[in-house]
Amino acid sequence: MATTERLFVLPGETIDPSLIPTHKKHPLRLGPGLRHIPPSDIVPTVAGQLITNPLKNSMWVEYNSHRYIPSQGDIILAQILRSTTDFYLCSISPYSAPATLPHLAFEAATKKTRPQLAPGSLVYARVSLANRHMDPEVECVNPSTGKADGLGPITGNGCVFDVSLGFARRLLMARNREDGGVGVLEMLGGEEGGGLAFETAVGRNGKVWVGSESARTVVIVGRALQETDRGALGMEEQRRLVKRLVKGMR
Amino acid sequence: MTATTVPEAATGVLPRADGSAKYSHAGYIVTGSVNGPIEAQRRDEHPYEAHVDVIVRPAAGIGGTRERHLESILQSSLAQIILVKNFPRSLIQIVLQIEHSPENDYVNTKLVQANLNISIMPALFQTSVLALLSAGVPMKAIATATAVALSHQNGTKQTIVDPSPREVETAQSVHVLAFTSHDELLLAESEGHFTVNEWDDVYETARKVCCRPTTQKEGIAMVLDDEDASGPDMRHFVRSTMESKVATDLHWK
Repeated sequence: MATTERLFVLPGETIDPSLIPTHKKHPLRLGPGLRHIPPSDIVPTVAGQLITNPLKNSMWVEYNSHRYIPSQGDIILAQILRSTTDFYLCSISPYSAPATLPHLAFEAATKKTRPQLAPGSLVYARVSLANRHMDPEVECVNPSTGKADGLGPITGNGCVFDVSLGFARRLLMARNREDGGVGVLEMLGGEEGGGLAFETAVGRNGKVWVGSESARTVVIVGRALQETDRGALGMEEQRRLVKRLVKGMR
Repeated sequence: MTATTVPEAATGVLPRADGSAKYSHAGYIVTGSVNGPIEAQRRDEHPYEAHVDVIVRPAAGIGGTRERHLESILQSSLAQIILVKNFPRSLIQIVLQIEHSPENDYVNTKLVQANLNISIMPALFQTSVLALLSAGVPMKAIATATAVALSHQNGTKQTIVDPSPREVETAQSVHVLAFTSHDELLLAESEGHFTVNEWDDVYETARKVCCRPTTQKEGIAMVLDDEDASGPDMRHFVRSTMESKVATDLHWK
């Protein structure tokens, strides 16, 4: 990614016009943490690092938080609260308004054959509707192809762990462990962790589902993720943490 | 954290809250937590904007009328800087726990109940701003606050920034002022006797503390060394606190 500046900004600060990218063809795209005050002011609304991408002509503020605010297209991990006649109500983050998941928003679902989800079960879903005046809506199917694309109810033994939104976003990024700064999952599955067998589903809403046949592995992986997040551990510290957890749970 | 005279702060001290901050200044220690935007109760719901709920908890005992008064002042000024229109029908909850307040050495406090007055407002205000920043709640601007006392001693006037309880007691008037980062006056609360000219002096003093200009140079905030500067530079303090928080948060970048 061609990003240049890493400038720290606070809400309401003026952004130097020379930092705002310009492009001949693409219109300027504003990402999270910025607002446009007509006619021409662009003002940050959160404290974070201002990142500009001159190639795509976009800019946004990179920051970490704990409260997920739904936005369209995000992949999230939701928990079913209850079912109504046409849709399930599910929780994306605690104490926020529940999201709706239509009964027919699953792969190959018809009125007669649809997944029967009990309250408490988990779904890996995409946010299909998010705006400030309405409750969010999620789906487990790609509406144009009718395929699940990896979304759907999560089955198997496992447990959900809460992490910060920045860490969840980092886990969703495809980056190798050397330049990524977070390699805890590879370490757990690799030689440091003694080759633990597990699977994960990371939601953009700061929830990570860890699944494995052995409960011990689930606990080790979940704890490793949470401690890496809370302590902002570096690569060497992560390696030590993984070794300590695996040794302690033997 | 021990009570300090210079401002000190830590963010993210409460792991389960969306955002939190611990702030210590002028003998006060306040811990604040911010949760939101969350689902509002039916009676707090507003169709077009978020409801900002401020709860002040004293160091000992349960809150009373004084706390409700502080809450209402903080609520109305914080709702001005939070982008409440972004989150209709929701609630942003700010809880402020006073942990320590400075003692007046000249008076025997009989009650355990902490004595509240407006000189605690800057600490409460600054804690809520830091906690809101730590929670990533969208805001129009940041704000800084300070307390200024006016006293007449031996016929000479004195303005005292961040007065101690003894100075508050002997002062003619105590003022709390808050400014946004656009140098606009956000909050002005006064107590005692004073003239309009005296208030203007107070305004200038508070403005110097809250709105000291920083020059931007190659992305690094440079503080101008003002010889006549009195009191701490609040805006620079908020900036450096948040800068270190963001740097640790994004260490993997």
